[in-house]
Amino acid sequence: MRRAQRLITAGLSRLFPVVVALAAWEAVARSGAVNPRLFPGLGAIAQQLVFLLGSPQLGLHLGASLTRVVTGFALAIAIGIPLGILMSRVALFGRVIEPVFSFGYPVPRIALYPIAVFLFGIGHLSKVVLIALECLYPIAINTYYGVQNINRLYIWSAENMGASRADVIFKVMAPAAAPHVFSGLRIALPIAFIITVLTEMVSSTEGLGWMILYASASLVQARVFAGVAIVAAIGFVMDSLLAGLRNRLIFWEKEGLLVAMR
Amino acid sequence: MPRASLAFLIGLLVLWQWLASSGLLPRYLTSPAVIAREFALLLQTGELFQHSAVSLYRSLAGLALGAGLGIGIGLAAGTSRRVAGFFEPLVSLTYPVPKVALLPILLVWFGISDTSKILLIAVSCFYPCYIAALYGVRAVDPIWIWASQNMGASPRQVFFKVIVPAAGVHIFGGLRVSLALAFILMVASELIGSSNRLGLGFLIINADAGGRFDIMFAAIVAIAILGFAADRLLLGLRKRWLAGYAVMEESAHA
Repeated sequence: MRRAQRLITAGLSRLFPVVVALAAWEAVARSGAVNPRLFPGLGAIAQQLVFLLGSPQLGLHLGASLTRVVTGFALAIAIGIPLGILMSRVALFGRVIEPVFSFGYPVPRIALYPIAVFLFGIGHLSKVVLIALECLYPIAINTYYGVQNINRLYIWSAENMGASRADVIFKVMAPAAAPHVFSGLRIALPIAFIITVLTEMVSSTEGLGWMILYASASLVQARVFAGVAIVAAIGFVMDSLLAGLRNRLIFWEKEGLLVAMR
Repeated sequence: MPRASLAFLIGLLVLWQWLASSGLLPRYLTSPAVIAREFALLLQTGELFQHSAVSLYRSLAGLALGAGLGIGIGLAAGTSRRVAGFFEPLVSLTYPVPKVALLPILLVWFGISDTSKILLIAVSCFYPCYIAALYGVRAVDPIWIWASQNMGASPRQVFFKVIVPAAGVHIFGGLRVSLALAFILMVASELIGSSNRLGLGFLIINADAGGRFDIMFAAIVAIAILGFAADRLLLGLRKRWLAGYAVMEESAHA
């Protein structure tokens, strides 16, 4: 009972800054210094949020965006993890492909989007390809470092104790590299969502990015904010799910700093 | 760049050139030779410099604003529990949000101007720098702080001479991520619109509308060169400033 009480107070004190930020927002909106059409109050935004959540359109846009995020992300995993392993285990890949990744890292791939539209059309495919391309970098590079940094002693002692080759790969190397691989995934997932919303804003007729841009073009600013709130909630939930999965799978190591995004 | 990798890329270029000149590729995959010619032409007329200057101004101004605030608040949060307690919930709540979603809002408030682009870039660059500075301070070995206090350093000296340089490795990591983000968002926001018809992203989307694929690729090449050069510059700065703190040399080539 006491523990529950403590948890609730701790939760409330954590929420305090959020309440302050929201109150400041409402105060500015009501101060009369800003045009309420451009700077809507929380009530108007909540109203639009209810409208959006109740409209059949949302399902369509949400479905389109999620399809793109998930397909692009999955494609990047399917290519990036094997590529990272190959770069680390096969000398030829390490010398030829790894520099392409580490040198190509600062080049913004989004510039290729108009070309991707020509190659793959304006629908799902061009967006999925670009999402996969952007996510490939953190996933492949982090997998590479994860496999590269496996402590040789682990492998040797497993071999010494008579582990088979499959055992070494699946019971020693895979768990040893997993924390790095997951860092790559946690860096890549928000990028997947960013590129989805972005490409939908540049050219699309469906998806959350398009929905927000459409509301903006119709000058319903409150609906834009409601759309951003939905996008924010989805981003938060996706990140939490991945973090939860990571902590369940890799229970023996706490997650380090994710900013080392290489 | 290692020779094997360079040879691989040149091989790809030659293959592209050969496929394009034998007419096997669609028209929108212009041959490298044509792209190079257009690139040289754009350099001669000075058009490329004009677009690059505007793009660089937007991305670097946004980066400076966002990274400055991020590092400043991050350092403060690292040294004071109160500051950390206030910002931590706000940051962890808004961090996974794709900040590009704010672009339509900024567009309505500030128009398709430089201001909206710079603010968007600043918001995005804030997070990696804030988190890196915060963790950088927390990762400082307390022995260094105790030692300097023992030798009579004032709190000011401890902060500027011990904590800030020791957190530098982390901060540069955050800056590097922010730099990449600044370039992505610069290009992206220019693809969506540019009021003064300048910027490399605008050059791409304008060439796209006119079917000038050679100009499009020339602009992409320019963006790649600028992104790469800015990153190398940052790495060079880090090498200079952290000369005495070369703790994590292993990530230098990453």
